[in-house]
Amino acid sequence: MKTPSPYLQIQHLRKSFGNFTALDDISLEINEGEFICFLGPSGCGKTTLLRAIAGLEQQEEGRIVQAGYDVSTLPPQQRDFGIVFQSYALFPNLTVSENIAYGLANMKIPRAEREQRVQLLLDQIHLPDIGNKFPNQLSGGQQQRVALARALATEPGLLLLDEPLSALDARVRLHLRQEICSLQRKLGITTIMVTHDQDEALTMADRIVVMDHGRIAQIGTPEAIYQQPATEFVARFVGNMNLLPARVLNHNQLMLGGTPRQVPLKLPLCDEGVLGFRPESVQLHEGPWGLDRNERFIFQAQLNHVHFMGAFVRLEMGFEAELPQVHVDLPVEQMAQCAPSAGQPLWLSVPKHALKFYPKAGHDQACPHQLTKPENMPMDVAAMQVVGA
Amino acid sequence: MSVSLRLSTKRGFDTEVWLQRAVVAVGVVFLLLTLLFPLLTMLVKSLQNRAGEFIGLGNFTAYFSNPSLTESILNSLTIAVWTTLIVVSTAFVFAYALTRSGMAGKKGLRLLTMLPLFAPSLLPALSMIYLFGNQGLLKDWLPFDSIYGPVGIIMGLSFWAFPHALMILVTAFSNSDARLYEAAKSMKTPPWRVFLTITLPSVRYGLMNTIFVIFTLTITDFGVAKVIGGQYNVLATDIYKQVVGQQNFQMGAVVSVILLLPALVSFIVERRVQRHQSSQLSARAVPLQPTASPLRDHLLTLFCTLVCGFLLLVVGMAVYASVITFWPYNMGLSLKNYNFDMMDGGGWGSYFNSVQMATWTALIGTAVVFLVAYMSEKIKPMPTARKLLQLLAMLPMAVPGIVLGLSYIFFFNQPNNPLNLVYGTMAILVLNTLVHFYTVCHLTAVTSLKQIDNEFEAVSASLKVPFYTTLRRVTLPLALPAVLDISVYLFVNAMTTVSAVIFLYSAETTLASVAVMHMDEAGDTAPAAAMAVLLMLTSLVAKGLHWLISHRILQRTQRWRQR
Repeated sequence: MKTPSPYLQIQHLRKSFGNFTALDDISLEINEGEFICFLGPSGCGKTTLLRAIAGLEQQEEGRIVQAGYDVSTLPPQQRDFGIVFQSYALFPNLTVSENIAYGLANMKIPRAEREQRVQLLLDQIHLPDIGNKFPNQLSGGQQQRVALARALATEPGLLLLDEPLSALDARVRLHLRQEICSLQRKLGITTIMVTHDQDEALTMADRIVVMDHGRIAQIGTPEAIYQQPATEFVARFVGNMNLLPARVLNHNQLMLGGTPRQVPLKLPLCDEGVLGFRPESVQLHEGPWGLDRNERFIFQAQLNHVHFMGAFVRLEMGFEAELPQVHVDLPVEQMAQCAPSAGQPLWLSVPKHALKFYPKAGHDQACPHQLTKPENMPMDVAAMQVVGA
Repeated sequence: MSVSLRLSTKRGFDTEVWLQRAVVAVGVVFLLLTLLFPLLTMLVKSLQNRAGEFIGLGNFTAYFSNPSLTESILNSLTIAVWTTLIVVSTAFVFAYALTRSGMAGKKGLRLLTMLPLFAPSLLPALSMIYLFGNQGLLKDWLPFDSIYGPVGIIMGLSFWAFPHALMILVTAFSNSDARLYEAAKSMKTPPWRVFLTITLPSVRYGLMNTIFVIFTLTITDFGVAKVIGGQYNVLATDIYKQVVGQQNFQMGAVVSVILLLPALVSFIVERRVQRHQSSQLSARAVPLQPTASPLRDHLLTLFCTLVCGFLLLVVGMAVYASVITFWPYNMGLSLKNYNFDMMDGGGWGSYFNSVQMATWTALIGTAVVFLVAYMSEKIKPMPTARKLLQLLAMLPMAVPGIVLGLSYIFFFNQPNNPLNLVYGTMAILVLNTLVHFYTVCHLTAVTSLKQIDNEFEAVSASLKVPFYTTLRRVTLPLALPAVLDISVYLFVNAMTTVSAVIFLYSAETTLASVAVMHMDEAGDTAPAAAMAVLLMLTSLVAKGLHWLISHRILQRTQRWRQR
């Protein structure tokens, strides 16, 4: 299969507001028809990147190439995109139909065809009968769907969604997620959505771009981002993760708290870092017998607290005195079977593939990355390989 | 890279951006020509002698070595401080009563307090003469020697400035958060402590703002001091005397510069304070529902009734005096005083001139103000020029009307200025009035534009709709209430202003408000009162029309506001 040529190319984009660097050398390629999420905490630059793609912010350096055209310096009017904002930004004094037809009016489309197109869009957002209503007569979810229809009306090549679901309540948000996804698949329109909600990004996107302090921390499919977080930042930001500060003793031993521990990883020879694993990848055991220390990280911890979370229970466990508590998620049924009581010491293990070690940021210069990896590769990649080892 | 790049599309001639640039540029040039350049010309004049030669600070030395002139500085300050004290404390209690008490009849009281806004500032001065003057009705009640002088000025100004103070304070008091009061109550805090720790801090900035606004208004007032000041000179009347009485334009410029200083300082401090005010209240605040407390409410009702009684007395006196045949010898009622054509000041012609001038100011002014505010708020290109525009739009607030008027003489009356053809026409009166009242209009427009989602422009751009279409179809309809407010504000102020236009009218363009002054100067106090009353009635009619029109238009075009 031929790889599709990228629809949107972003090359070395830079933008700052005063002393604040919003975008720091961002490069990115997006394929035609892809659903991309920019994910990150507030202030990470994700909205600025979206606005730069739209031409609403002018970058200081870098190029944006859309469908083979360099659009870097074009004003928004001359670019090809539709946009939906968190605030809906529906014109309150125009009816729903007038809002949707707003961009069609100056495209010299005959009135009959225009009305037909508006009705088609209303059908597509499953609100066929609201054409004569005003925006403030609609619920938030309905307004956002109208905003979506308005953005799609002019059949743009690129759909930009700026936190479109953040202003809605939880139930509506879930519903609208599916609706946006199915509409996007049906139309096959290249879509970029900005969000700070990891669930949204994980469930909706083809690929996620995780951003931190104006830089891209990781690009990957939702599975890759969740299972193989490239940096400690990504690990902290996406999902829950136990992160234990550790010091490297040798290639498979870590000092955790006050005790040296064997881990089934090839550790980089640097000084400090964190050992990470997800609460759901921890397994409970009767004892340490029969477990392979080359395949699993095995340790004993004391049960402090049990939190009922609905579908699962979260155990809070004391591991080493200086270390944060370890969280373990268990299905409710399994919990009912072993029924541990508070204060009870339990044996825990984490399989090798679920363990990650992140060298402490800033120390990467001091440590030659990997004995096994020959080239001088960027830290993110190295970390990923440690993770995947 | 595998993609073959087509030649990057050249940034073509972007009509929209150029149009935006043109409008911003026109706005900047307009405010430079009608505001900054005249003021700068005046500054230059203050450093020149009669022959137009540069003499440094010579005029200022002459001014400060003349005690009869410098006395006015102290007089002006005295007047401003006393009036500010009286007006702000009265308005503070009044605003508290309107917003935080269970007092009955709030709406009616509130409406009555708006009355002075529609009267020219000469009206309270004339009323004072009829109430407490040499032949006044209540002369014996006055605990002072004479109403002619500081007492009269302070009383007249208090009447005139009261609604301004009340409006700001009511807004400040309205920004309440009921949750704070509930928390205090749950901790069993005594009422006086609640007042000191919650109420007072929440209106702190509004209070400071009011003090500076009233101080600026009163130190720069011309009309009241002119009519009732007698031998008591203040800076504003000094300018008039220097220019009109002695034809000493240089000294007029010097006094103007001196009057400009406190106004500028107070204005700058006020802007600083204002900046803090906006971030006071979180969006989640729950508005306070005032509770009844019989004793307090009765006392406040008494207080508010007294204040409104005073306002009504002043207005009523002017109306009454205007229909008395010949005060105090023939107290029969007649409309003789309204026969203006028999008096000085241009007669009924001036009245119609005034109406014409006010109409033009309202029409042109609203368009200019709104367009400039739109450009400074919603448009991206030329950030520096837009900053300058915002700064220039704020400046008129700090410029006393009489100073602006004098500046206009200096600037527009230069023979080598191509703009001098507007001198002596209706156009210069309209321009001057518009610039004089520019700031409040600008702030009104900006406030309403700020409430409109900034993403509208982005959405329109993405839909390839030009900005002017969105301005016409969306922004203007949304801001319509503010636009109507601006137009009626301009109309009313153009009808009643004296200070700014006193130097600028010609024989063909005499104005009613100036006629009031001239009739009073000529001793025709009753016709002066009659004209003042007529101006007030006209303003009230305009306000009533505005209310009707906006009611009708809003009902028709703002269907979307209803749920």
